Amino acid sequence: MHIQYLHWNAAHGWRGANAPREPAQLVLYFGNREGLAGGARYRELRDRYPDSHVIGCSTGGQIHGDDISDDEVVAVALRFARTRVRVVNEVIESREGSRACGVRLARQASAADLAGLFVLSDGLSVNGGELLAGITEVLGSDLHVTGGLAGDGTQFEQTLVGADGEPAPNRVAAIGFYGEAFRFAHGCAGGWDVFGPRRKVTKSEGPVVIELDGEPPLDLYTRYLGDEEAAAMPGSGLAFPLRIHDEAEPHRQIVRSVFAVDRDAGTLTFAADIPQGCTAQLMRANFDSLAAGAGEAGRQARSALADGIEGDKLAILVSCTGRRRVMGQRTQDELDAVAAELGDDVVRIGFYSYGEIAPPSASGRCELHNQTMTVTVIAEAAA
Amino acid sequence: MTTHRLLARQIRQATDESGKVDLTRLGELVSAAYEESDRDRRRTDRAIKLMIEELEQTHRRAEQDLLRAREFLDSIIENIPIAVFAKDAKDSRYVLLNRAGEEYYGMPREEMLGKTPEQIFPKEIARVVSEQDRRVVDSGTPMFQEGHLLEVGVNGHDRLVNSRKLLVCDSNGAPQYVVGVIEDVTERITNEARISHLAHHDALTDLPNRSAFNAALDERLERAQEASTSFAVLSLDLDRFKEVNDVFGHPVGDMLLRAAADRLAAEADGTFVARIGGDEFMILMPEQARREEALTLGERLVEVIGKELEVDDYLSQVGVSVGIAVYPDDGVDAATLLANADSALYRAKREGRGRVCFFESEMDQELRDRRLLQHDLRHALEQNQLLVYFQPQARMDGEVIGFEALLRWKHPTRGFVPPDRFIPLAEENGLIIQIGEWVLREACREAASWPRPLQVAVNLSPIQFQAGDLERSIHQILLETGLAPTRLEVEITEGVLIGDFTRALNLLRRLKALGIRIAMDDFGTGYSSLSYLQSFPFDKIKIDRSFISNLEATPQSAEIVRAVLSLAHALNIPVVAEGVETEAQRAFLEQEACEEMQGYLVGRPDLIERYLDLIGVAVVRRLYA
Repeated sequence: MHIQYLHWNAAHGWRGANAPREPAQLVLYFGNREGLAGGARYRELRDRYPDSHVIGCSTGGQIHGDDISDDEVVAVALRFARTRVRVVNEVIESREGSRACGVRLARQASAADLAGLFVLSDGLSVNGGELLAGITEVLGSDLHVTGGLAGDGTQFEQTLVGADGEPAPNRVAAIGFYGEAFRFAHGCAGGWDVFGPRRKVTKSEGPVVIELDGEPPLDLYTRYLGDEEAAAMPGSGLAFPLRIHDEAEPHRQIVRSVFAVDRDAGTLTFAADIPQGCTAQLMRANFDSLAAGAGEAGRQARSALADGIEGDKLAILVSCTGRRRVMGQRTQDELDAVAAELGDDVVRIGFYSYGEIAPPSASGRCELHNQTMTVTVIAEAAA
Repeated sequence: MTTHRLLARQIRQATDESGKVDLTRLGELVSAAYEESDRDRRRTDRAIKLMIEELEQTHRRAEQDLLRAREFLDSIIENIPIAVFAKDAKDSRYVLLNRAGEEYYGMPREEMLGKTPEQIFPKEIARVVSEQDRRVVDSGTPMFQEGHLLEVGVNGHDRLVNSRKLLVCDSNGAPQYVVGVIEDVTERITNEARISHLAHHDALTDLPNRSAFNAALDERLERAQEASTSFAVLSLDLDRFKEVNDVFGHPVGDMLLRAAADRLAAEADGTFVARIGGDEFMILMPEQARREEALTLGERLVEVIGKELEVDDYLSQVGVSVGIAVYPDDGVDAATLLANADSALYRAKREGRGRVCFFESEMDQELRDRRLLQHDLRHALEQNQLLVYFQPQARMDGEVIGFEALLRWKHPTRGFVPPDRFIPLAEENGLIIQIGEWVLREACREAASWPRPLQVAVNLSPIQFQAGDLERSIHQILLETGLAPTRLEVEITEGVLIGDFTRALNLLRRLKALGIRIAMDDFGTGYSSLSYLQSFPFDKIKIDRSFISNLEATPQSAEIVRAVLSLAHALNIPVVAEGVETEAQRAFLEQEACEEMQGYLVGRPDLIERYLDLIGVAVVRRLYA
């Protein structure tokens, strides 16, 4: 595998790789919503790589190497020696259709030699848990699926995904990697700690929590955030994700963060369903524990990567917007921690998301996470 | 001095390509970082403060819940109607005692809590209690004592309790408490004893019942087999009890049974006396009891039971018959012994009641015979083995006025079977209804064919009165045969009136209304209750043959006959004397103004062909008609 890195900014346009000697099969790009809206960046990439699949999404910040940028568009062009790549995409009409959408998407990608699937999904109009349930239903739980939900900074207004087309809302796309040579490794960790009493989800409907211990959940968050910060909900709510404990699956670690607020009703909408009757506990983190969590994700991915790799290795980092919000300028620390674990020989690109997709370390089934750092390493084995 | 990683990064970010640091940009970055830190610190402080508040609230709630749970458990332990205590496992000091416990020990808990058994109980009791505690603590196994009497406490020493003690250990497995419960089971044990008594005793007489007797017999058989000893079983049945029951009613019958049972139990002291149903009793004699002792006991019982029993102002006389079977001579298993004692009893009854009979092997044969006879009787009617004989009845001057129809059974191999043998059998199995109807029909048909309009008398069994539609069948037979009802006379014994008196009386009245005459048979035997004569206008009274045959031998018989006659005359009821065999008897009866007679003097029972002349048929005509 060969990687070319390039980036775009308003001042200089696209910079980076020279014209490729051999055409790339896949171009992956991330940028903020304003940068991607209108489709100009896509068209420019399409011009540069007319024969490649071009896929990307809007974010809450782009990662390249040790740097985070809000204004630049970052991209990599990948040329595989012995791996086939396909890009599939679907339109999602409503949250309720999430599972069906996952099924359709997976059917398009399904093939006997499918070796890994990287999903980029709309971040606001999709029930991520259901989407993944649909994908798993078709592909089974043995296939490794990673990816993330597109972001919109801390605005939570609109997210964009484009796959061989201009980025648009209500899209779900995926890259299928095919063939024996393809290597796929991943890690996922958070670094959050639970605190305070356990609370009961006394009333919920899908992802909307209506009552926690009989009280509107917005009241709880307002108390904890203070009035000033609470005004910045849902963004400020990312500081206190919820650890969900489901009696039916006691070993499953589920972390959910707030995605939308109904101030009149006092209800909060989370990234995926929160079953009524389950136990919830607030979580918090400090700069160091979050960085340590990210390092753990890097370590997992590195140790999962098989030996005998030929060519370049690409790490796609998908980290939660909530982490960046909490860490501020210290966000860099988590990228440093991942880099230290992965080593210098791995090219790193990525974005801050509204949800991360990866199998958790405890179970093999891929899940939607919030507030984690997930690291996906792709590479090719030596012939 | 090492530069903070963040500051280093900020300086790098504020440095342009030429290496020049933009101080304004750097200041912004540093300031923002301070702001972020402040915000994070404020958020953290706030979260910690709120968390503490929430945890305190939760803690308070948990404490309240705990308190409520404790109160709940306390109130249950306090109010449970079983004494509950707990002691320190180390020194047996009481640490808990509930209200039932206070009642059990008869002292308030203040006097017990914190004290050892030695400080509370008398020395001897304290020693037992402490020893039990030690054993439970040392062994770790619970102690359970069932149904024992109170050892301590002042609340009545006649109470029975179940007590158990068990060890409770702390989380490290070290003995912590000895917990005990003491339950008053006096009522339960008393109830169990009562139920057990009821299961093995007869409710009326309180004697052991059949199942208790069977168990005792089985046990005795086992012992006797092992020790090669012998013993006797007595089977007893009250004589004439049924009549008492019928005449005076069940309440009196029950009292009589109780009185008889008391006498039996008192007299047969040292034996096992059981009531096995109705008026049947069994006695199991002690081991090694010899035949003579069994006989002596049997005879003693006949004597004491035979004495008048005064029951609720009634003077009643019942007797008892006794059958004896001896192990091992008369059987080595329970079934055989009981069956043989029963056949001995049956023989005692048959031989005139108030007797004691040992089982003899021929009794067995008798019993078998009896069953065979009963079997044959079922076929007798359809195989034309039954015959009707006629015996003439005459005025004192010898003029024949009618015949009594009498049933005979001519068995193909046995010959003539005596009526007193087979009629009771027919009554037992109900065949008498069918047979009785047949006799009636035959007698009526015969009488209807006689040229002379003589009376025909037919005996009716009490069974015929109790079952079937007698009135209808008589009516039917009269219509069928064309016999004038006035020529038919039915003879009944007191047995018909005993039992359902009203029903029998109504039936008699209806028969009489048809024109049929009703005679009271066997007068002078049985109860001969005068009230029967009063309650129904009998057309005739028949004096039992036993009085007539004794006329010459015993003066009392003559007196009785006189008395009956004068009574009947006073009531305007004609009298027939039965069993008149001699001229002297006839002369006496004529002198005493007896109206009619029947007996060998007039003629024996025989086929009607023997009396053709009397019924007005010329022999020739009859033969060739």
